[in-house]
Amino acid sequence: MRCHDGRVQFRKVTVPPHRYSPLKKAWMDIYTPIYEQMKIDVRMNLKARKVELKTRSDTPDISNLQKCADFVHAFMLGFDVIDAIALLRLDELYVESFEIKDVKTLRGEHLSRAIGRLSGKGGKTKFAIENATKTRIVIADTKIHILGSFNHIKIARDSLCSLILGSPAGKVYSKLRAVTARLSEMF
Amino acid sequence: MQITDPGGIEALHRLKATDPRLPLNPSLSATARAASRYLFSSLRPFTLKSPFDQLLVDGFDAEQIWQQIDLQSQPLLASLHRRVKQLEKNPEEVSKLKTVLGKGEKKVVEEMKEESEGLDEDSDDFDEDDEEDEDEEGEGKENEKVGLENVDEDQEDGGDSGESDSEEDNAEGGGGIEDQFLKIKDMQEFLEDGENEGRGLKKDNKMKKGGRFDEEGTEDEEEEDDDEENENDEEDDDEDDELGDFALEDDEDEENARYEDFYGAKQKKGSKKKVKFIDGSEGSDTGDEQDDKPFSSQKQETISTHEKQLEKQRSKIERMEKANMEPKNWTMQGEVTGPKRPKNSALEVDLDFEHNKRILEGHFDDVQRALRLPSKAPREIKELDENKSKKGLAEIYEEEYAQKTNLASAPLTFKDEQKKEASMLFKKLCLKLDALSHFHFTPKPVIEEMSIQANVPALAMEEIAPVAVSDAAMLAPEEVFTGKGDIKVETELTQAERKRRRANKKRKFKAGEAKRTPKKARESALPNPADGTKR
Repeated sequence: MRCHDGRVQFRKVTVPPHRYSPLKKAWMDIYTPIYEQMKIDVRMNLKARKVELKTRSDTPDISNLQKCADFVHAFMLGFDVIDAIALLRLDELYVESFEIKDVKTLRGEHLSRAIGRLSGKGGKTKFAIENATKTRIVIADTKIHILGSFNHIKIARDSLCSLILGSPAGKVYSKLRAVTARLSEMF
Repeated sequence: MQITDPGGIEALHRLKATDPRLPLNPSLSATARAASRYLFSSLRPFTLKSPFDQLLVDGFDAEQIWQQIDLQSQPLLASLHRRVKQLEKNPEEVSKLKTVLGKGEKKVVEEMKEESEGLDEDSDDFDEDDEEDEDEEGEGKENEKVGLENVDEDQEDGGDSGESDSEEDNAEGGGGIEDQFLKIKDMQEFLEDGENEGRGLKKDNKMKKGGRFDEEGTEDEEEEDDDEENENDEEDDDEDDELGDFALEDDEDEENARYEDFYGAKQKKGSKKKVKFIDGSEGSDTGDEQDDKPFSSQKQETISTHEKQLEKQRSKIERMEKANMEPKNWTMQGEVTGPKRPKNSALEVDLDFEHNKRILEGHFDDVQRALRLPSKAPREIKELDENKSKKGLAEIYEEEYAQKTNLASAPLTFKDEQKKEASMLFKKLCLKLDALSHFHFTPKPVIEEMSIQANVPALAMEEIAPVAVSDAAMLAPEEVFTGKGDIKVETELTQAERKRRRANKKRKFKAGEAKRTPKKARESALPNPADGTKR
């Protein structure tokens, strides 16, 4: 099956400097599923510091290209390869990004404290939210990225926002429990 | 006081003339007011206690006007009743009155004036002396007798009868028996008028009533004031009717009210008179103050029980308030140290020593917390795992999907695994306990596991757990000994057998060495060139 209109399409994903060495380490894990399963050509442009993706002649679906691009982009945001791989396999996963200043304008110490509240001690709060809502969260300074399905992203976002606004972790936990119990009951 | 008010008389006639069925108009209310005022002022000389000199109609609504009229007419009616009853009892006096009635105008007028003045002076001394009832009652009775007949007929219209009285007083003179109080002419006139005009007056009254009713009917044309007046008039009419019904039964008033109430004591307590007169003149036109005047006179003389009670209460309240304002006694203050209280005062006060005993016993009056029974079974709280999840996101969704479509069994959650482990341990424990007790035998669950069989002597096993473990699980004889190896000991061997054994040993050793030598050759080959020595 050919591409949509017979043309070759490209995608270019910029590599931020802090993800350069992790990319080098995990390159084979990234390359293999894209090339083998998605049938998309992928190469790293070292000069421009970009990952370039190109459709091949035997690419089954044009959406593969977009999926691969999303997968690489998720890795660049900070997600693990094993978590980002889910983007390739499942259609209904999304990445949502927002900043702390979108929720509440915080400066200096308050901002630092908010970030600390979000992660928790040793990251336990973040992991708790991740496990409860089946999402993956990346907190990069003031930017927050959430990877997961639509409903789960919403729940995780609500929890994170309440943490930013100042509610203690215990309160967020109790709310999480209630919501996830309801979610699990539905299935 | 206007006895002859042409405007008022005219208004009265006009009112009488109006047809009750006519629609309302504001002029009618003005007419009615003027008429009422005229009647009121005509009656004024006979009302001794009334605070009003004139009926106030400007700016007052119907209720207020009626109240003024009522104030005037009520005591008047009462006095008339009494007089009539007196005359009833003593019919001789009536004849006396009749003879007296043939005197001239002037005298009557003068006497009326005197009477009115005397009445004014004595108006406030009415309730002073109850002791002089008997002397003055006689005179009062005469008056009342005359009025009795008329009262029967003209209950509802005291004003009108008063008016007729005043008119005819001017015409006739007084008799010899008359004094300032007794106007025989008045009495006769009163009697005659009552007979003649009773019915006519009644008609007037009805007309008035009718007029009032009609006024009520058309509200749109009237102003708000008139509406109120009309409604109140109807109420007043009802009250009038009631009075008419019960007027004859005024015995109570008669008994309580005395001669002094109206005509006052004769020259008693002149200073007080003056005081009261001033009070009376200064009094405003409110019924309350009129009531207060007799009360105040009472206070100074004899304090009523109510007053006494009030006094007591007031003094008590004052005392208590004063006590509250002062600083409290040291026993009533909270924490009091030694210097704060007077010396040795704690000895005098009987402290509550029971406290110590109770403290020792621990017998406190603490509120016991009521235990709440667990109504529901505690819900399973889902634990939040705070560790980084080992599975990738894709795997999680994979499992979820699989669970949904029931392809694979649901993966055991952390809790389930713990449960499983716990149940396993418990089962093992139970088995051991059962084995020890020998009573309830449950065979060991057959779990296909690799376990090391110890070659323990069967005897030992049987002793401890004879039934549970059989010697069948022990090693078989051929597993213990196959038959190979050196069976005979060296001492038992013959020469030939000894030689054979040694030969076997040597052969084995040589075979073993042959394997080892090529390895040695390899290992030793490498370091040779470094040494430079040849082997």
